[in-house]
Amino acid sequence: MTGWILLALVGAMVAIDGTSFPQVMISRPLVSGALGGLVFGRPLEGAVVGVILEVYHVGTLPIGAARHPEGGTAACAAAGGLAVAGLPAAAPEVLVTVLLALLWERFTGRTVDLGRRLNERIVQVWRPGPDPGRELERRHLAAAGVDGVRGMVVTVSGALTTFLAVRLAAAWPAESTVAAAALGIAGAAVLGGTLGVFGGWREKGRTFLLGVACGLILLAVT
Amino acid sequence: MRLTRGAGLAMLLRSFAVQASWNYRTLIGTGFCFVLLPVLRAVYGGGEHLHDAVRRHSGIFNSHPYLVGIAAGAVARLEAEGAEPQLVERFKSAVRGSLGSLGDRLVWAGWRPVCALLGVAGALAGASWWLAALLFLVLYNAGHLVIRVGAFQLGLRYGRNVAEHLRTLPLDRVQRSLWHAGAFLVGVLAPLVAAGELLADRLPIAWIFAGAVATAVGVRFGTAVRLPAVVVLMLGVVVAYALGGA
Repeated sequence: MTGWILLALVGAMVAIDGTSFPQVMISRPLVSGALGGLVFGRPLEGAVVGVILEVYHVGTLPIGAARHPEGGTAACAAAGGLAVAGLPAAAPEVLVTVLLALLWERFTGRTVDLGRRLNERIVQVWRPGPDPGRELERRHLAAAGVDGVRGMVVTVSGALTTFLAVRLAAAWPAESTVAAAALGIAGAAVLGGTLGVFGGWREKGRTFLLGVACGLILLAVT
Repeated sequence: MRLTRGAGLAMLLRSFAVQASWNYRTLIGTGFCFVLLPVLRAVYGGGEHLHDAVRRHSGIFNSHPYLVGIAAGAVARLEAEGAEPQLVERFKSAVRGSLGSLGDRLVWAGWRPVCALLGVAGALAGASWWLAALLFLVLYNAGHLVIRVGAFQLGLRYGRNVAEHLRTLPLDRVQRSLWHAGAFLVGVLAPLVAAGELLADRLPIAWIFAGAVATAVGVRFGTAVRLPAVVVLMLGVVVAYALGGA
């Protein structure tokens, strides 16, 4: 039970960090995944899930009022769910966990949208009082509190869903190489797509190819 | 009146929560007023004047959260100097769009993805989980803090002339360097990811080739490949469990 309470608290912190406060990026999947696993004593499994999900999120830019999936809480939830299931970070289990996280983050992204609409109401009602500054501060910080509660709910429910799904999947044997290949192929495609963030093939093709050459050398020597 | 160091520090600390009430109607307007409040209280005291100032500054406003200090610092200086409300409003309208796009390019599409790719590279290179996460957090937040503090210093020092000073900074060069670093890191990581290093388990050559083709498809179609990639994962689940039971 302590683990679930801790996960809820971490989920709240991750959700608040995403937009409200202080945006130090514990809300990145790379960090929140490891934190989700750490809560249940399995940070390595959490980190594996977090690193894979980070690859999917490098190219997601929170520009303007864009609506986008919320990767932080989803990674935390997925990593927590896999960790509490007590299963190793083998390819089939990780594949199921990552897939669930990528679906869950679309739902959590919708809750972010709802939260922003709720914030409109929270800050809209404006009554002149003896201390208008205090009233504004109260409402502003209340919105962050609501965001935290939202984070708790989506993280714990996401972890529970992942836990059940991974446990269910573990009852069947799975072909590990195919699962690992699916993660590799999908990850490589998304990573390739990230080049667009840095100017794309036309502008940065040569730099990209130089990187590929270094990557190939690394592969050869390791 | 002269702005105190304490008021400046309070504004800086409050700026970390500038987006707490982000909404589609006023964007970060309420947060901007939240940041300015220590100065508004010092300038107007309380009562009707403070109420008017709070109402003026809680309207629509937008900026990148890390660069809000440029606008907040400059507005704080204008308010302390007793500038006309219309002048302050004109200044806010003039800077709000450009601060948003500047921060988006430099931080969201530059510094952050580069740091994240370095963190992923660290993990794939065999660094322990906490070291990869720590590398990302320390590196990213070093830049984050420099930008936030620097933004306030610029705003407070140059006031309404801050935009002219911003044009003299080599921001385009910084962005170009970040994009080169990002493109290079994507290139380094692509073969590692395609080869199955995400799970520290080298794939057979046929699958690596498929990963290389997938990378090329990603480069061609950009972030539009995200949804098809999820479909690939779904197919992977189906095939892996179907073959496992066979």
